[in-house]
Amino acid sequence: MKKKMKKGKITMIITAGIACFALVLVMTMQFKIVNQADITSIENMRESELSTELANWKTRYDEVNQQYEDTLNKIEEYKNNKESNEETNNLMDSELEQINMSLGKTDVEGEGIIININETDNEEVENITADDLLLIVNALKLAGAEAISINDERVINMSDIVYIEAAGVIRVNGERILAPYRIKAIGDPSYLESSLTGNGGVVDDMKKKEQDVTIQKENNITISKYNGEITTKYME
Amino acid sequence: MQNKRVVAIVLGVMCFALTAGICIQMRTVEGTNSAVSNNYEENNLRAEVLRYKERYDNKVKDLADAEAELEKERESATQNDTELQEKEKEITEGNKILGLTEVTGSGVIVTLGDSKKDASSSLDPSMLLVHDTDVLSVINELKNAGAEAISINDQRIIPTTGIICGGNIIDINGEKVGAPFEIKAIGLPEQLAALDRPGGYLALLKDYSIEVKLEKSNNITIPKYTGTITYQYAKSVD
Repeated sequence: MKKKMKKGKITMIITAGIACFALVLVMTMQFKIVNQADITSIENMRESELSTELANWKTRYDEVNQQYEDTLNKIEEYKNNKESNEETNNLMDSELEQINMSLGKTDVEGEGIIININETDNEEVENITADDLLLIVNALKLAGAEAISINDERVINMSDIVYIEAAGVIRVNGERILAPYRIKAIGDPSYLESSLTGNGGVVDDMKKKEQDVTIQKENNITISKYNGEITTKYME
Repeated sequence: MQNKRVVAIVLGVMCFALTAGICIQMRTVEGTNSAVSNNYEENNLRAEVLRYKERYDNKVKDLADAEAELEKERESATQNDTELQEKEKEITEGNKILGLTEVTGSGVIVTLGDSKKDASSSLDPSMLLVHDTDVLSVINELKNAGAEAISINDQRIIPTTGIICGGNIIDINGEKVGAPFEIKAIGLPEQLAALDRPGGYLALLKDYSIEVKLEKSNNITIPKYTGTITYQYAKSVD
């Protein structure tokens, strides 16, 4: 009688042991899967994300295709006008115009928005910081702004927006920027505005802090060119 | 008899705990949607995305070839005129600054990785992650230190590049990149390395136990921007 019970106990322990082992094994495997899941991979995207991704790649394909066609046309033109220095000169000028525009070396105009930011008299409201301006500029770029300036200082590729503690001022491109701030951006006015004022947008956040920010949509804004020299010394 | 009951209860509790653990994990796996989804519609979309990505990649290659040919044509068209040669140089230089050609030079490589600290040990676990605003601030400081060209995980920064995060990934130039972020910058290495100064942004990130590494290098290659710069709203006025 005693022996029999012991046997039953052993069987039970072994069964339980196997069950536990199997469960632990499954858990470990799952941990591995979770670890392996690469969140940037499209394998792990859901339907809505995939649709956005598809639209994104379609647009990018169209853009690059357009650029490709343009380049082929340019090659053709250079070939056809090889004998004429004057024609070649014109071709180069039009290429340079496009490049200088992208570099910020020309005045540009178009529709867009103007953001006006004032410091308030209320001492409880935080002052405007260089980071606020940096976040606004970043949000404008994300919303497709084609040209941006802060107090008429053009934002170019390597523009910095920093607070100089020793002097107590904000500098953009190394130039002093004082309140009130006026940020101009050329692009789709409605889209630019809504991406800033939408829930969680930069301007929305600032307004919640009771900072004085207003946005006006404009049909025609002129943004002046970058006044400095753009030089490179270290890159080839 | 009592002994048996205790054993049964202990086993029951253990089984329950393990099953609960598995259930939670299943949920987590479903949440991240990792390699488990077999939805027909999603697979179709996925295939379509891949197809477009491939078409895009091929076009980018074609474009690179065409651009090389254009450069050759330009060179041969300008070889007999010094004034035109000057303009040709200006075009090449402009494209370099804009990020439309690959560049090399001296500089620094900054790597930002999520904190290795146990998330449960922190009051606010999101503080242990690298955010889009962190990357933005580091980029801004690099520009301030005189960087001439910058890339994040090999995505070149161009005039219109914005940085945004969605969940654990950051979107740069429409490409999604995840931590760790490798930020390359070309410029004077000593000046760029000042980013690591006490009180600077990197020091702040280190305070939050973010993994920060900065190395100087004499040979950094920053790839070109693979997209296009187009204007729909802005017009040049002269």
